[in-house]
Amino acid sequence: MKTRVLRYSILTVILGLTIYQALGYGKRSFEAFCPFGGMESLWGLFREGQYSCATGPLNMSMLIAVIVLALIAKKAFCGWACPIGFLSELIGRLGMKILPWNSSVNPKLNSRLKLIRYVGLVLALYFTYQTGELILRGYDPFYIIFSGFGHGTLGLVSVIVLVIIIIGSFLIPMFFCRYFCPLGATIDPFSRLGLVKIVSDEDLCTECGECYTSCPHDIAPNEMIYIRHRDCTNCLECIDSCPEKDCLTLKVKL
Amino acid sequence: MKVPKYLIPVITIVMLFAGFYLRFAFTQPTTSVVFSEQGDAKLVCTVNGVKCKGTANFFTKMFNGVEGISSIETIASERRATFTYDPSKIDKEQIREIIEQPIQLRDGSSRQFFTCVEMK
Ligand code: SF4
Ligand code: SF4
Repeated sequence: MKTRVLRYSILTVILGLTIYQALGYGKRSFEAFCPFGGMESLWGLFREGQYSCATGPLNMSMLIAVIVLALIAKKAFCGWACPIGFLSELIGRLGMKILPWNSSVNPKLNSRLKLIRYVGLVLALYFTYQTGELILRGYDPFYIIFSGFGHGTLGLVSVIVLVIIIIGSFLIPMFFCRYFCPLGATIDPFSRLGLVKIVSDEDLCTECGECYTSCPHDIAPNEMIYIRHRDCTNCLECIDSCPEKDCLTLKVKL
Repeated sequence: MKVPKYLIPVITIVMLFAGFYLRFAFTQPTTSVVFSEQGDAKLVCTVNGVKCKGTANFFTKMFNGVEGISSIETIASERRATFTYDPSKIDKEQIREIIEQPIQLRDGSSRQFFTCVEMK
């Protein structure tokens, strides 16, 4: 619980800063901080040596920072810094409290549905590179929410997208992150290699399942020795929920 | 090797700051136009209204044919425009006036698109 308080405090500060930027108080647009903007700008930089549309240096440097972070601490950016991940998690927790059923998804279906985010990534980059425009804006909850349905959103289509994401997050924790986030898809391979990971001790585990229940990504730490799973955000919920002392620990492991 | 739980937030925050300061290594522009080779005075403006490649192109076009402006480079996401100019032909206040001039629209009305909020 203590870790969650710290995590939510950090996320609240980041969410507050994003809102501050979105209201136009900062020196730059809130979009400038999005690491995925770095991916979107790659083709323009390669072809013309110039940034496309509204992307810029900070998008690029944030992308590199997030990739390096993933190589060190897996998807810590998603669990500790992303405002959309934070909002998704809050909605998901509300859903888990209210809904009478267990919201975990069948593992096979879960991993098949995750393929959508790779398709989304390829399509988003293809059309962005073709047009030089940030065509994802109308479907991107980060942009739709913080721009207040601003320039580049698609009216009713964006409303529908946002409603689907909110309802989806309510029914399935981290709905957008799991199945649609193109940044998540981008850092997946780096996250798999992440050095700092959760390690479980088979001898101490009583198979109570608390870690699995607490994991927002439906990962079962008790079923693996090293959590190399691409989706692990190192949120540390599983460590905090495990009743056995030192059964789940954080270790540096290749 | 076992590590403390607090390593994760610490390293995340360190990397966010690193990302923020690393931006100086990627200073490629959104648009870059050279009008002439004369003049080497530099002026960096923070311009509200320069938001993307389209607005940056529009902004740059306002200086077509303006005497004394040698080049304009914009970084839209930073709302930044960097001018090189010839101070014997144009000064900072005249550049500001051009930036903030109202633009005539097709329907006959006019509107100010850009505001210079900072000059360095
Ligand atoms: S395995 Fe543990 S640290 Fe990783 S996402 Fe799940 S709860 Fe968080
Ligand atoms: S919470 Fe701890 S003891 Fe329970 S299954 Fe998970 S690792 Fe094992």
